[in-house]
Amino acid sequence: MNNIRNKYAIVGVGESKRSKNSGVTPLHLALDAARAAIADAGLEAKDIDGFMSYSEGDSCTPHQVATYLGVRPGVVKEIVGGGSSTELLIADAIGLIETGQAKTVLIYRAMNGRSGMRMGGGGWSTDLLQNAFDGGSFLIPYGAGSPGQWFGLFATRHMHLNGLTQEHLGHVCTSFYEHAQRNPNAFFHGKPLTLEDYMQTAHLSSPFTKHDFCLESDEANAIIVTSAERAKDGKSTPVKIMGMAARQTVSHAHYWKNLDEVASDYVAPELYKAAGISPEDIDVASIYDCFSWVVLRQLEAYGLAPKGEVGDFVAAGNLRLNGKLPTNTAGGMLSEGYTHGMNNVLEIVRQVRHEYAGTNRQVENCEIGICTGWAGPDIAGAMILSK
Amino acid sequence: MSEETKVKYEKPIPLKTMDNTPYWDAADRHELALQKCETCNSYNHPPGPSCSNCGSVDVVWKNHGSDIQGTVYSYVVSYRPFLPGFQNDIPLVIAVIELTDLPEVKIMGNILHGNAENVTIGTAVKMVWEDVTEDRAVPQWKLA
Repeated sequence: MNNIRNKYAIVGVGESKRSKNSGVTPLHLALDAARAAIADAGLEAKDIDGFMSYSEGDSCTPHQVATYLGVRPGVVKEIVGGGSSTELLIADAIGLIETGQAKTVLIYRAMNGRSGMRMGGGGWSTDLLQNAFDGGSFLIPYGAGSPGQWFGLFATRHMHLNGLTQEHLGHVCTSFYEHAQRNPNAFFHGKPLTLEDYMQTAHLSSPFTKHDFCLESDEANAIIVTSAERAKDGKSTPVKIMGMAARQTVSHAHYWKNLDEVASDYVAPELYKAAGISPEDIDVASIYDCFSWVVLRQLEAYGLAPKGEVGDFVAAGNLRLNGKLPTNTAGGMLSEGYTHGMNNVLEIVRQVRHEYAGTNRQVENCEIGICTGWAGPDIAGAMILSK
Repeated sequence: MSEETKVKYEKPIPLKTMDNTPYWDAADRHELALQKCETCNSYNHPPGPSCSNCGSVDVVWKNHGSDIQGTVYSYVVSYRPFLPGFQNDIPLVIAVIELTDLPEVKIMGNILHGNAENVTIGTAVKMVWEDVTEDRAVPQWKLA
C-alpha cells in the first residue's frame, strides 16, 4: 500500500461513557461514540457515507447506527473480528474511498464487554466452546477455555527463550497504570500500581496476575477516515495515515506448532516500507495489550526494542512518558478500558494531534506514532500516523 | 470399579467431528493416531479436512501406538477454573507437549496429579489415557 502514503487521514475520534455496567444497549453506546467523533471532526452525520464495525456477535449493526443518525449510507460493512480489526477496516475504508465507493467512513466498536457478553467470562456451554474454536475439542477438555491460559502458553515459551522475567511483565503493567493516573477517564485512575505490589500479586494463570489481563468494559469508540484532500475542508486537525499493513496471518495459532512465529513479524517490514520510515523515527506508540506479555512480543516484532533486549528496554522505563517510546499513554487496555484495540487508536490520534498540549499527558515533540493490532499470534495489523 | 465408587465425569468430553473422529476413536482404544499428509509428508495436529501445511486432500491416519513420550514445550499453571469440572484440579497444569519421535507435533494436555512445581520447559512426560466414561478416554500426560 505504498501508493496511499499520506493520502488518507483520521479526522475525528470519539467515545461513549466507559463503565462496568452501562445500562444501555451497544447501539446506544455506538451512537454516543459516533456523535462524539462526528462533532470532533466538525462534520455533520450526513457527511458520513460509509459505516463499518467489527464485533464478536456482541454489538449492533452499522446499518442501525446509520439509521439512528438519520443517514442513508452508501456502504455498510460489518465483520466478525477482535484485535487488528480496526486497522483492517481503516484499510478497507481507504480502498472504498480510493475507488470512489465512499467519501467519508465512520468505523466503530461498541460492546457491553463487562455487563453483557464477556470475553473472559464463564457461563458458556462447553460443547459450544468446542465447536466455536478450530481445534476446540483439543483445548476445552483440558480446561483451556480462557484467553489468559492460551496467551500464557505463548508467553511462557517466549519468555523462556528470551530471558524475560516476571519483573519485565511488571514494568509493562506499572508503566501503563502510571499513565492511567493522568487520565481521569481510565478505569484504574486513582489506583496506581508499584512493581512491589505487582510482584506480590498472585498468578491467575502463570505467568499472568490479574494486572497482566486487560480490562472488561462497557464502551464504544468511533473514528472517521477520509481523504487528506477532503480533510483540508474539515475543522479538526487531521492525522495522516503514513502507512499500514492491514491484517497478516500465520497458520491458526491453535496448531501450536511454533510459538516463536507471530503475524506481527510479517506485518512490520511491510508497514515500515509503506510508511517510508524506520522504527527509530517513531515517537509514541499504541501497542495492542490484551495481556502485558503481548506488548513485549510486539516491541520485538516491530523493531521498537532490539530482539533479546526487550526486557531491559521496558525495565529502563522506556514505555513511560519521558522514556524513549511512551506507550499506551492513556493506560491502554490493561488500565484505561477495553474496546478490542480501538481505545488505543483514539489515544495515538490525540497524541499525534498534540491535543494534550500544555498538560502532563502530552508526549513532547511527538510527530510520528505507531498503532498495532493483534488478534492472537496468528493475525495482526498496524498503522503509522503523523500530523 | 464398582457402581458405588464410580465418579461422574464433570469435565467437557471431547466432541467427535467428521475431521477428528479417528483421533478420538484411537484415544478410546488408548492409542495415538495422527493425521499425515501424503503430499508434503507433514503431520497435522489438530487434524482437519485437508493438510494445513499444503492444502492437499491426500491425508491419511497413522497409528503411533500406546508408548508416547514427549517434553514440555510450554505450559501454564491455572489457579482459577475457567470451565466446569476443573474446580478440584487447581492448580491445573495445562501444557503443550512436543512429541519426542515427532517434534513437529505439539499436543495439549494436562500434566496429571498436580506437580506444578516439578514442571518446566523441557520436562520429560509420558502419555497416559484417562478413562472418563465407559467408552471414552482422554489422552493426558504424567511425569516420565
